[in-house]
Amino acid sequence: MNASWLVVATLAWRNLWRNYRRTLIILATITLGVWSMIFMSALMRGMVDEIVRNGLETLPGEVQVHAPAYRRDPSVVNSMAMPDGDFLQALGESPVVAWAARVRVPAVISSERDSRGVVLLGVDPSAESALGSAPDNLVEGRFLLGVDDKGVVIGASLAKRLETSLGKRIVLMSQNPDNDVADRGARIVGIYKARLPGTEDIYVYAGRAATQKMLAMGEQISEVAVTADDYRAVQSWYPNILEAAGDELEVLPWTALDTFLSSMLAVQDGFALVFMVVVFLALSFGLVNTLVMAVFERVREIGLMLALGMKPALIIGQVLVESLYLLGLGLAAGNIIAYVSIRALENGIDISSVAQGMEMMSMSPVLYPALRFSDMLMSTAVVIVLGLAASLLPAWKASRLDPVKALTKT
Amino acid sequence: MPELYRSFVSLLAAAFIAAPSVGQEVSAQDLVRQAVDNYRGLSSYSEMTMVIHRPDWERSMTMRGWTQGDDNTLVRVLEPKKDAGNGTLMLDGNMWTYSPKINRVIKVPSSMMGQNWMGSDFSNKDISKTTDIIDQYEHTLIAQRQEQGHEIYTIQSVPHEDSAIVWGKEVLVIRDDWVLIEQQFWDQDGVLLKTMKASEIKVMSGRPVASVLRMSKIEKPGEWTELRTLEIDFDVQLQGNMFTLSNLRNPRQ
Repeated sequence: MNASWLVVATLAWRNLWRNYRRTLIILATITLGVWSMIFMSALMRGMVDEIVRNGLETLPGEVQVHAPAYRRDPSVVNSMAMPDGDFLQALGESPVVAWAARVRVPAVISSERDSRGVVLLGVDPSAESALGSAPDNLVEGRFLLGVDDKGVVIGASLAKRLETSLGKRIVLMSQNPDNDVADRGARIVGIYKARLPGTEDIYVYAGRAATQKMLAMGEQISEVAVTADDYRAVQSWYPNILEAAGDELEVLPWTALDTFLSSMLAVQDGFALVFMVVVFLALSFGLVNTLVMAVFERVREIGLMLALGMKPALIIGQVLVESLYLLGLGLAAGNIIAYVSIRALENGIDISSVAQGMEMMSMSPVLYPALRFSDMLMSTAVVIVLGLAASLLPAWKASRLDPVKALTKT
Repeated sequence: MPELYRSFVSLLAAAFIAAPSVGQEVSAQDLVRQAVDNYRGLSSYSEMTMVIHRPDWERSMTMRGWTQGDDNTLVRVLEPKKDAGNGTLMLDGNMWTYSPKINRVIKVPSSMMGQNWMGSDFSNKDISKTTDIIDQYEHTLIAQRQEQGHEIYTIQSVPHEDSAIVWGKEVLVIRDDWVLIEQQFWDQDGVLLKTMKASEIKVMSGRPVASVLRMSKIEKPGEWTELRTLEIDFDVQLQGNMFTLSNLRNPRQ
């Protein structure tokens, strides 16, 4: 039994190189197909990762704690106390790597020439940078120095709209818990650039204590943002925070805070599989065609083998092994090329020529392909399973040949 | 006490007019205080017309206003008919509007304080915080000249660092009878953006008043708003409920 399979394997291998030109063409097709499956999924994954990471940077954090009514009405009235007791302790435990208490209220910023609605963030600069939500690209000036910093840091795009610049005074206006106007003048101490200009227009950073004073809200804060640096693992530690924070507060993971982002991530996996199957369907026509031709050319030969007593199962085996060789070689080459090309492009693909369009999808003008081992495995599985399934038809036909008719075929 | 103080200062002022050559120690702060007191009084009642001019249209509104102290102001529109009854109440920097058409008092949120008031060139903030000029700025006397028998003081007012004022500086021109002749608004680069100028000064109710005031934007020469005071009474007796939300809604005077 083993010996006959060895013969079949040898025969299949030799058959493959009988018409090496045809074999090379179909190999090239499979390689290209496999490469495109892996490369495109890496690109899409990179895009989705980017969107999620951008989203989490401005969210910020993977888990947020608010007063229950805050998300419906993000005003100064719906504030909460600084974390203490169990809650504070839970925030210090692994896997939490950083957390920040922030004041976050809608406000109006005015210069001499214009005024715009913004989100005023009263932050603790050191906690904010640990969280990763401090603007990482300060083009002018400095970030805030402490919670008492009287200055503000605004986005470059906002500065342009207000026709103001570093070192000038602007006026912040919001309301205090009694619904009275709360305002103060502040000097612009820093200007940041964000990956998305939309972010620059919205977020204005000010010292937390200075903001609390302006809003007359005492030591109250609007939210606590918590991160553990891996957005995919949030479900594992979020219950700890939920329990420690108590019933008075609303604790939500980012998947609930930003359902768009989380559903995007879920759609992504399904989409990759659909994409691979579609690519394979196009590919399978070439594959089946090649095998049908190979069988057609060897009708007399197969008839002879059957006449000499080879079992039909072995004929099927022969065609399938031939197909397996093709798929295996193509997969190996495709995977290697995909790996190399993704590695080479890891520093980003500049697509700034379509930057404006990408921005609308809240993406930056540089694409970072993200290679995932599971994508390579999935494409391999798809190609082998579907490839063998597609080869069954020609193999079946070959095994059902009538030896007499086949031998006399001219 | 303010009454006494005022008459004392006007006495002083009279002395200065009489002897302008004497080395004068006029505090810029006092000048500004006096100018504000002059047009607001301890309390006042006035009737005025506001003319809003744009290159292709112009409209005017007649209204009545009451003020008390530095912080309380109530304004009610008389004409045109479609705006009649609209009211604005200002208390301590907060602002409410009332419109009889919807029969609602609305508190003007802070997000709308930068918008214009009734379509004019005054922002809500301009009119609700008129007396900020007294204590939110550092005033310096930068020039003094004589014109038509009056001493004219030019004062530069730079807002305090943390005051909620966007201007780089304001320049006030005040006449020695406490009439604010001109108020200029400069940005932080030293560019003049808006001016409010008195083009007519009349004695009304025994007090010199800038009866025509025009607010215009330098960058848009064809656009201005003029406030023409038709009648003004100072230091009038006002009912205690004048500056209340219920009075804004149901006028009782």
